[in-house]
Amino acid sequence: MLKTARETPLLETLRKYGASVGEFAGWITAMDYGNPLEEHVTTRNSVTVFDVSHMGRYLIRGSNLFEFFQKLVTKDLSKFREGRMSGPVLLLNEDAHIIDDIMLYYLSDTEWLAVVNAPNIEKDRAWISKWAKKWGYNITVEDITLSTTLIAIQGPRAPEILESLGVSDAKNLSILEFLRNPSVLGEEAILVSRSGWTGEEVRSHGYEIMTTVKHGKQVFEAAVKAGAKPAGLIARDSLRLEMGYPLIGVDIGDDTNPIEARYWMALSLKKEDFLGEEALRRIYEEGVHRFRVAFKLKKGVRRIPRHGNNVLINNKIVGHVTSGAYSPILGRSIGMGYVEATHFYIGFKVAVDIRGKTYEAKILDFPLI
Amino acid sequence: MSTEDILVKTKLGEYLVKRGLLYTESDEWVKIQDGVVILGITDYAQKKLKYVVNVELPEPGTQVNAGEPIVTLESVKSVADAYSPCSGEVVEVNEELYDTPDLINKDPYGAGWLVKIKPAEPIDESKFLSPEAYAEKIKAKEE
Repeated sequence: MLKTARETPLLETLRKYGASVGEFAGWITAMDYGNPLEEHVTTRNSVTVFDVSHMGRYLIRGSNLFEFFQKLVTKDLSKFREGRMSGPVLLLNEDAHIIDDIMLYYLSDTEWLAVVNAPNIEKDRAWISKWAKKWGYNITVEDITLSTTLIAIQGPRAPEILESLGVSDAKNLSILEFLRNPSVLGEEAILVSRSGWTGEEVRSHGYEIMTTVKHGKQVFEAAVKAGAKPAGLIARDSLRLEMGYPLIGVDIGDDTNPIEARYWMALSLKKEDFLGEEALRRIYEEGVHRFRVAFKLKKGVRRIPRHGNNVLINNKIVGHVTSGAYSPILGRSIGMGYVEATHFYIGFKVAVDIRGKTYEAKILDFPLI
Repeated sequence: MSTEDILVKTKLGEYLVKRGLLYTESDEWVKIQDGVVILGITDYAQKKLKYVVNVELPEPGTQVNAGEPIVTLESVKSVADAYSPCSGEVVEVNEELYDTPDLINKDPYGAGWLVKIKPAEPIDESKFLSPEAYAEKIKAKEE
């Protein structure tokens, strides 16, 4: 596995700042820089910079992109326009199970960009191409993952950092809006968007910069010099868990439908005529057997709930954990998982079995902060 | 790091292997001092485990068997056990780790030690890896 792993193009730059590297979804990248809890807190209170170049990036070209994607993804794109992002949107299969959650960028009427999850870089590309062919759209998908970088600057001080990178227009962006070919450090980047996956983006405190590899190295270094603390994937994971954002292949996937996952932000319930719609309507009518929830443990419990741990009420299994982390903001362990629909007890207490010991937990809705 | 110590460099990272210690296949280090065995995890182990947030130690006085898991280390990323290198009695545990478990990351061969065990029988040092052999093992794993 390690032998075939790809390295983020920024790896050498990340190492300069003390990155502790590891593998995620076949990529070697920074897991942390010594203290991921501090990186998490700094993201919430100040500003951090993440290399997220392991996410897949495609340029998608064709003459009927709107029509094609309107059929392919869950979210209604009728208001989507140039200079905007839409997402997360879901790629569903015919059974309404989740292939991936992706971000779309409207570059022009004939060119869109998609950012997809690292484990699905090949799969999504094949999926998009397959349906374009099947439906008779003349669409090309160019994978630009390895020739570009994606850098996320997240936290309340992010606007300052963008300012010092010379992107003065960044502050005028609304959430999920982007600048095309903006000047960053006096050089043209591919785009700068107001976005992220830490939760800071919803407070308008998140930016992402997509650019070439060479320029990306300069941008990362300049962001650190301007005061952004480097942060790794471990902090990114605990940040997204506080927000209740699901992770593909862990909390959602091809064994999950978006209704039980309560992935409302990726759905437009009134939308018609898209792949998986028929199955989704059937599921909606028939109902689901489980729901995705968040939960938190009591302060002082040091153990962290892990994928596969059981959720119990009076020793009866009523669900399971899909992700867990320690939240330095809440000062306790938190998690995400599924409970049976018959036990969808938001606000109620349950127990979580962590390595043979049970701990009291409270089921909550998202976000946790 | 003393000049004697070994710094193993692989494409994934750099790992310190200290001289004067014995090593196990399961990435612990062992030091025998005044008839007591001191156990810790190696720099390689802590770097793989990542930032430690929780350590569960045995009670002093616990009788342990060689090869038995006696310490649970929980990081932000995963959970791992440390195994007893010998049979005997736990005579002391590193209580500092309850409040500052990241001592294991900051100083794995020093302040991040885990437990002290009084062995039931004299230790057979040939059952452990030398620093050189352990360094080779890390290299082989990451090549």
